[in-house]
This record gives sequence, structure tokens and C-alpha cells, in this order.
Amino acid sequence: MIGRITTQMTSSMTIADLQQSLDRLDTTQQQLSSGKKINQPSDDPYGTSQAINLSGQLSSLNDYANNVSDGTAWTQQATTSLSDMDNMVQRVRELVVQASNGTYTQSDLNASASEVSQLIDQIKQEANASYNGQYIFSGTSTDTAPYSTGSNDQYQGGSGTVSRLIGPNTTVPVSTDISSLLGSGQSSGSGDGKLLDTLRSIVSDMQSGNTTSLGSTDLNNLDSNFSNLTQMEANVGATTDRLQLASTRIQNLQTSDTSALSNVQDADMAQTAINFSTEQAAYTAALRAGASIVQSSLLDFLNS
Amino acid sequence: MSIPSFTGLQTALRGLTAAQAAIDTTGHNIANANTPGYSRQQAVLTESDPMTLTTLSNTTGASSMLGTGVSVDDISRVRDQFLDIQYRAQNSATSNSSTKSTILNQVQAGLDEPTANGLSTQLQAFWSSWNALANAPSGTSSTAARQGVIEAGTTVANTLNALDQQLATQQSQAQQQYQTLTASPNGEVESDAQQIAQLNQQISQQQQAGVSPNDLMDQRDQLLDNLSSLANISVTDQGNGMVQVSFGDAATPLVSGTTVNWPQTLTSAAGGQLGALQSLSDPATGQIQAYRNALDSVANQLATSVNSLQPSSPFFSGATAGTIAVSATAGTIQATATSSAGGNELALQIAGLAGGAADQSYATFVAGVGSDVQSASNSQQTGQSLLTAINGQRQSVSGVSLDEEMTNLITYQRAYQASARVMNTIDTTLDTLINQVAN
Repeated sequence: MIGRITTQMTSSMTIADLQQSLDRLDTTQQQLSSGKKINQPSDDPYGTSQAINLSGQLSSLNDYANNVSDGTAWTQQATTSLSDMDNMVQRVRELVVQASNGTYTQSDLNASASEVSQLIDQIKQEANASYNGQYIFSGTSTDTAPYSTGSNDQYQGGSGTVSRLIGPNTTVPVSTDISSLLGSGQSSGSGDGKLLDTLRSIVSDMQSGNTTSLGSTDLNNLDSNFSNLTQMEANVGATTDRLQLASTRIQNLQTSDTSALSNVQDADMAQTAINFSTEQAAYTAALRAGASIVQSSLLDFLNS
Repeated sequence: MSIPSFTGLQTALRGLTAAQAAIDTTGHNIANANTPGYSRQQAVLTESDPMTLTTLSNTTGASSMLGTGVSVDDISRVRDQFLDIQYRAQNSATSNSSTKSTILNQVQAGLDEPTANGLSTQLQAFWSSWNALANAPSGTSSTAARQGVIEAGTTVANTLNALDQQLATQQSQAQQQYQTLTASPNGEVESDAQQIAQLNQQISQQQQAGVSPNDLMDQRDQLLDNLSSLANISVTDQGNGMVQVSFGDAATPLVSGTTVNWPQTLTSAAGGQLGALQSLSDPATGQIQAYRNALDSVANQLATSVNSLQPSSPFFSGATAGTIAVSATAGTIQATATSSAGGNELALQIAGLAGGAADQSYATFVAGVGSDVQSASNSQQTGQSLLTAINGQRQSVSGVSLDEEMTNLITYQRAYQASARVMNTIDTTLDTLINQVAN
């Protein structure tokens, strides 16, 4: 290219080339040691914003997964309680059917009445089920037990629903307002036809020996309440299924986002290692060449 | 008709003097082989004025010219002024992008992205804490969840404060650096300009005396090279050995003859290091200020969106990156706007802000800084290669080649020996004339 080549030229070119070579080596070294091809935003600005977005999504997915497992705990607790109630209502129905066929003496009826009373207490106990210190059948009044023990059947919980965020803008209600099933008994004077009212009527009909009423009104009411209970169990079960589906979906998304994030920011180790040794070889060669070129001159070959 | 007897001695003497001058110049070149800014010099040799011998020819009576040897006309320096212009233009551009690249790299390093310590991760933790609160608005984990929200919020606010503080520091450091370089008196610009003005004076005097002050001109070129890294310069030859130097976008020439006009105002259009510092640190239009504004808008979006979902008392106070702080306490955080203990609709909505406007604009901000750094360091690398290439060409013209100098040394040494031999021969001739002819 140029006619004259001078000593300073050779040395400054050699230094510039060595620096470039070392700079490349340094970048590859950083990629090798961190395992990432994006070590600062300037390595790949678009990739960086992708990486930030993806890790944000992963963090959200992690939250959703936590929410799903928390929600599942609520619905499982609800399923257990409702299934216990289911058993108890069936036991009450047996007692009512036996009492209504006219073979029981009044003392048998009294014994049945006292068993039903105890079952009422147990049902209310089940309705007061809680998870992590929060009453699950109380609507949003999770700090208030839905029912107090004793003869007061008034529902004390709230309306409203407690929900869990299981996806972007997707919430699932995990609380149940048990008052639509159990009602408020006979506290307000006349009954509301819900389960507690029906059970209290059964107790009083047993105590008064009113077997006709037991066999007709009470049994019919009990059956209709029982079908409400089954409906509620089905609803809770459906929520549990929905949460499980969400959990599977979240896991799939976590897998795909994790691999997408890895594609964006992780270095291909095999490729990087090969690059590293290539660049190292080039650098060593440049060093050796530099050391031998710069030192020789005409001076070495002139006599004295 | 006849040739004066001692003419040959004078001719041989001129040959000796010329060879000696050439050897001395070679020595000077070799001594300065590694002096920065040195241009190699060469002795300009021409034939000396011939002697007219009238009627030398006995037959025709025509006159002839007899050569009288060599004379050293000048010791000149070998330099290409066009390469100087190219070098200085490229030097300004490279120094500009290198300054930007250095400072922007510091800005980028301060962000600490993408790592687990960056703001993006802390924002994610903040949104997660609202999810935890939505899961436990009352009950046994509630206190911990509320405390978690406060702590995550405080971390986010503190990081925004620290980032803004870092940017402010970088802004004022760049401004400080600009002040130091342009200070009057004693700033680098002024000190270079003063030296150039003095050299103008000395060079002009020497040239008037008919001497070419090569080494002074090298010094002046070296100073001009240095000035070109600070800002764009244009150098005009004033004809009397002096140069006029226009500096950056300053209104009047920095140096004109022996006058220095400094201090003057420069803007980001000045180019070079000073232009870069101005374009980065300008408190109104500078790049760092733009970053601070972007960070302010992240803080504002965060505060506004969260506060709008906390109707009773705002969660964040302050709406800029520098002032944002958590004003809520564990007791005042609302998971719900209703009085129900288990309501969590507000917490759910805030948790749903994850990946929203604040996160997006922060990610965009980080990517923006990244691409600014990338383009600055790319243009720095390109500029550096160009500069090395142009400098190589300059070295090729002006640099000292030891091989060449050694060859010259031998050439002129032999010339000296030969001239001495001529003198010896003439001496012998005269000896013949004086001692042999006399008796």
C-alpha cells in the first residue's frame, strides 16, 4: 500500500492489532465465565429488553403458580368440609326416614332429636372451616366465623368473593358463601327453608312426635337442601379442576419462557469455548510475531 | 583563461561540508526516531553556483562553466499537510465517540442490568409481594405479607433514588471535566493555545531570518494534534509562518497569530471530547438528562398506577426518580376498598400491574441506554481503526525509518571519504607543482 514502512508504524500497528485481539478475547472470556452472551445491555439492546420482559413474565408465572396452590388449598379444604356435611345430612335423612315410619316411641324420637342436634353443631363446625387463619365459607369477611356455636343460627359472615389471580386479568373465586346453603336458621322468627332451618324443624318435629310432618315437609325440604349441597360441592370441585388446569398451563408456560430466556441471554458454551481458543491462538501468534518483527533492523546486519 | 589553483580545494571542502550536514541530519533523525510528533528531516543539496571561465579554449576562445561542488540549501522536514488535516478531523471524531462511550458505559454499569440486582428484578419482587398480600389479606400470614409489600416497595424506591443520584453524579462529573479542560487560566485548551501563539511568534521570526525552524513546527503540529482531540479544529496558514486556529464552534478563532481568544462558549456541536462532554452533560438537552427524565417517567408511572389503587392513603410519595419514597405503612396498605377483612380486589389489581407501563418503560429505557452504548463503542472502534490507518500513512511519510537512515549514513560517510580523497589528490597535485617545479 505505502512505499515507506517505518519502525514507529510497525510498532503502533502491532499494538493496535494486539489491543483489538485482546479486546475480543476479553469479551469471549466474559461470556465464558458468566455463561451469558448478554452481560450488559449494549451487548444486545433488543435482546436485553426481551430478557427483562421474559424474566418479568417468569416472575409473574411464579406468582400465579403460588396463587394457584394457595387457591387449591382453599378449595380442597372446602371440598373436605362439604363432603363431611354431605355425610352428616345423609345420616339425618336416615334418622328422619326411620322416625317417620311410625315405629319409633317418643323416647326413640327424642334420642334421634338429640343426635340431629349434635349433627347441627357439627355442620356449623364444618362451616367454620378455615385455611391459614381465614374462614373459607364467610365470603370476604374472612376474619369472622360464619356461625357461632349454640342455638343461634344467624349467618355472621359477609357476601362477596375472595379471588386468586391465576393469569393476566384472570381471577378465580376461591371462597364460598355458605349462607345460600345453610341459611340463617329460625333466628329471625320464621324459617328461610335452608338447611339449618330444616334441621331445626326436624328436631322440633321429633321432639313433638309429629311424624307426619317429618315424613312429608321435612323430608322434602331436606332433599331439596341436599341437592343444593351437592350443587355446591360440584361448584367447588369445578373450581379445583380449573385451578389444576391453570397449574398445568402455567408449568408449560414456565418451561417455554425459561427456554426462550435461555436462548436470548445464555451463551452457547461449545461455540464460545471454540471461539475462545481460536482467539487465544490468534493473540498468541500476534504476540510472537510482534516480538520478533519489531526488534530486527538493518543495524543488526551492518559490520561495526 | 586559467583556473585558480585552489578552486579544487574549495570544491572538495564543500563536498565535505555537505556530507557532514547530511550525516548530522541523519544523526538527528536517528536520535528522534521515537520522539512523538517528530518529522524526519533531510538536507536539501543543490549544485553550487558554477565559475565562469572566460576564453578557456585557446582555439575558439569560448568561455565555459566550471562546477564548484555542492551547497546545502536547506534542512527541510518531510510532512504532508493534507494527512495532518485528515488526521485531526478523524482524531476529533474518535475522541468524541470515545468520550461518549466511556461515560455511557459508566451509566450502563450503574444500571446493573440484566442481573438479579437490577431494578427490573426488584419491580418483579414488588408485584410478587402484592400477590402474597392478595393471598393473605387477613389471617396469620397477613402481617408478614403487608411488611413484605412495604419492604419490596422501599427497595424499588431506594433503587430509583440511587439510579437518579448516579446519573446526577455522572452529569456533574462530565460538567466538571469540561470546566477543567476549558478553565482560564491553566486549562488544557488555553495552555495549548498559548504555546501555539508563542511558537507562531518564534517560527515567524526564524523564517524572516531565512531559517526553517523544523523542530518548532513539529512542536506546533503536535499541539494542534492535541487540540484536535478536544474539539474540531481548522488550521489556516497566515503566510508569515503563523497559523490561525478555529476551535470547535467558538465564535472567534482560538489562536490568530500571536493572539489567544479564550475563554469562549462551546456547544455540543464543537466535536471532540469537549463536544461529547457538552452533549452528555447539558442540564437541559443532554443525553444524561434525557435518561433522568426517562427514569422519572418510570417512577411517575409506578407511583401513579399504584396510588390510584390505594384510595385512602397513597402508597408512594414523590413522582420523580429522585424523590419517590414509600409513604404507606404496613397498617395503611389497603388490600380492599371494602371493610371486609378478606377482600383483596385492590391487591389483585396492583399485582396485575406486573409487566405493565412502568416495567415496559423501564425495559425500553435499559434497551435505549444499551443501544446508545453500542453505537458509541462501535463508532469508537471504527474511528480508532481509521485513526490508526491515517496515522500509519502519516508515519509512512514523516516517520523515521532506521533502515533508511542507516543506508543514508553509509552513503554520506562514503561521500565524505570521497571528498577527502579529492582534497588529498589536489594537495598532491599542488605538491608536485610547488616542490618539483621550483628547482
